[in-house]
Amino acid sequence: MAQVTDYVIVTKSVKKTFSSGLWKKKYTYALRGVDLAVKEGEIFGLLGPNGAGKTTLLNIFSGQLLPDAGQVWVLGEEITKYASIKIKTRLNMCSGNPNFPWSLTVEENLKFYALLYGLCTNDCRRMVHNCLEMFELEEFRQTKYEQLSTGNKQKLALAKAFINKPEILFLDEPTLGLDPDIAKKIRELILQIRNENKVTIVLTTHYMKEAEELCERIGFIKDGEIKALGTKDELMQMTKSTNLEEAFLELAE
Amino acid sequence: MNWQSKPHTSPSRRRNSSNILFSTVFIPVPKGRTLFAVWGKFYAFTYRNFIFAKRNFFAFMEILFWPVVGLLSVGIMGNFLELKENTLAFVLTGAITAGVLQVTQLDVSYSLLYDIWSKSIKHTFLAPVNHYDYILGSWIVGMMRGLIVFILLTFFSQKAFGFIMPVFFATLIFLGGIFLSALIIGMLVCLLIMLYGQRVEVTAWSLATLLMLICGIYYPINFLPQPLPLVASLIPLTYFLEYYRAFYGFSPLFSHSLLTGLILTVVYIFILFRFLKMAFARARRTGIILRLSE
Repeated sequence: MAQVTDYVIVTKSVKKTFSSGLWKKKYTYALRGVDLAVKEGEIFGLLGPNGAGKTTLLNIFSGQLLPDAGQVWVLGEEITKYASIKIKTRLNMCSGNPNFPWSLTVEENLKFYALLYGLCTNDCRRMVHNCLEMFELEEFRQTKYEQLSTGNKQKLALAKAFINKPEILFLDEPTLGLDPDIAKKIRELILQIRNENKVTIVLTTHYMKEAEELCERIGFIKDGEIKALGTKDELMQMTKSTNLEEAFLELAE
Repeated sequence: MNWQSKPHTSPSRRRNSSNILFSTVFIPVPKGRTLFAVWGKFYAFTYRNFIFAKRNFFAFMEILFWPVVGLLSVGIMGNFLELKENTLAFVLTGAITAGVLQVTQLDVSYSLLYDIWSKSIKHTFLAPVNHYDYILGSWIVGMMRGLIVFILLTFFSQKAFGFIMPVFFATLIFLGGIFLSALIIGMLVCLLIMLYGQRVEVTAWSLATLLMLICGIYYPINFLPQPLPLVASLIPLTYFLEYYRAFYGFSPLFSHSLLTGLILTVVYIFILFRFLKMAFARARRTGIILRLSE
């Protein structure tokens, strides 16, 4: 069993079921016992078909969802019923198809989230300025969110995710629906963030190219269970495939 | 090794020694939160709601149009019915209260609704905010807007209908009572939204009106059919209205109106904060916050 001191995220038999319907309850088993450990400073990829449980797992890691059973430790602290404010200051998340308050400008949005993360006065100003510069959003600082292009919205989502300089960054399909050139730019930014700040990144993606380029280790999840775990080469070896896409198709069957 | 008991310590973990000094020596703030960070989180919601209010045409209408139309209707009707000076003051107090209460509580209710409408609620609650940060931060903007409405309506009532405010101090207490009642209504709306989702957003506009009807906004509560007077006696606003109207010569139905109103307010605010905390814990179990972001 992984030791919590070696890993920034450790899960033990995590289960999650969603129910819907008022009278006739319908149950969806999102996670059926996930054991996983993410090392400090690595980019860990979660791959799997639609509805496999990737986003649910990411939301549990980020403290937005509680597991029904099992345990989750993030940065040494167990995720419990009442969210720990201390842990939340050390995490952040960015998802594909981002949404932010539409009538706030880029700068106002960043300032709002900086304040939420407890940055005040000079720290807030400095961090907003740094993020605008780092994510090449300076010329759009006065542009309202609703007027931004899809690519710039995604850049803002990444900038927001970096506003508190998180120790763990969760990226949920960060290049979803983006043009190839913008997706490439976003991937470069993700690598830049990791290399310059030693942040641990957990990302979910449907793009094999993205997983190949970014992830040091990959967990393949299907039907709420981790089916395979290892480096890209290990996964290919395991499935006797020549590339990650073939490995994905093999594991998804 | 017991891996649950050893906390992970990352080398990149940052600490600001001056802030720690502030939080541990000078100011009693919750563990792990500095004074600036605590204020910053309130201010974040104040800042956001203020920008929304500034840029939103509906927010402008909420302040100017509906309260003034409501006041003029009531005032003109009072003139038509040839009401005595103190009776006219009774109904005008109701019209002013209605305007201020609705505008103030809307800002508290909007604290969640703005996030839901922009589908960004999961980002807000991913951040290290407590349920009271967004409630209190939004309430500050609500009070600012409520104060504008109060000044505006009092001015109109004076000029158009000869309405005279009683003692300034009593007016201040009454205004505080309206603001606290608005906080309770806004929190109740937020609680309902956290429990039942966006389908109950209509309560943001209807709940205040319904409560005003019961707490005798334009009439003494003993004119209400049974059992509504009993329900009214559980609403703090009933007591604040009665306290203020006593200055116009109306004998109160309850003794110690102000004190009863304040005690009920404190009890409700305490209970609602507890319920909101539980609702947020439940939301993490059911995933409602994430569903509201889709």
